[in-house]
Amino acid sequence: MEIQEKNDVTVIVMDERFDAALGRELKDIVQNMGDQTTIKLVIDLSKTSFIDSSASGALVFCWRSAKKNNGDMKITGPSDHVKSLFRLTRIDTVVKLYDNVEAALESFAQNESMPE
Amino acid sequence: MENELTVRIETPATIVMLTPLDLFVRNMIQQFPSFSEAEGLVDMLELAFHEAFSNIACHAYRSAVEGRITIQIIVGVHELEFRFEDNGESFDPDDVPTPNLTDGPCEEGLGIWLIRQIMDDYLYSCDKGCKNVLRLIKQIPGPTPDLNNGVGP
Repeated sequence: MEIQEKNDVTVIVMDERFDAALGRELKDIVQNMGDQTTIKLVIDLSKTSFIDSSASGALVFCWRSAKKNNGDMKITGPSDHVKSLFRLTRIDTVVKLYDNVEAALESFAQNESMPE
Repeated sequence: MENELTVRIETPATIVMLTPLDLFVRNMIQQFPSFSEAEGLVDMLELAFHEAFSNIACHAYRSAVEGRITIQIIVGVHELEFRFEDNGESFDPDDVPTPNLTDGPCEEGLGIWLIRQIMDDYLYSCDKGCKNVLRLIKQIPGPTPDLNNGVGP
């Protein structure tokens, strides 16, 4: 996992296998961001080929945390398999998916978000 | 099952084993065109296997006692089965609530539900000797696999 700061957005690049252990790490990072006025998160899954139910739950936790802090979370580069999983678990109904990080950053700049 | 190919693995029920086993299962079933040619099926089968193994390692053996799991991967003419046997705590999968996704995505409780979405059958039993047996069965799509030539040595 790799963390990058791009202006006021935190970009987290996930590993090839995103499972319970990495999910816990991600939740810890986002929990520690709780003091920030606004949490703007991009979770980049372009390197991720495998994601399990715990990791999927961790993404929901992060999205809820961002929303609670007047922010938002966007996901970039999901594979077809990961998209299928997001359809099953309904993550795609609350988190906007982008092809790449640049597109997600641009949408933050334009203040785009999923309809409530 | 007739003309089946069975691989049997006995392993400590520890999360450390999860990724190597996931990759073994993935590589094994990928050898069969019936699975590899069906879009996304190998990924989903790997996920079902992963969720089942991690449930046993994390929940059945939640106590400090190191347990073991016997896994059988059985490829038959018409179906694929993952069979898990362990001596951990028993549970009734019917007691596990179905996640309520109508109001949006859930943070927890998705593992067994996901397995049920992926596999055609989810069969659990617990015998008097406290052995838990979980059988996950998927019907094979398309042409039946060539069990002699589908998998390399």
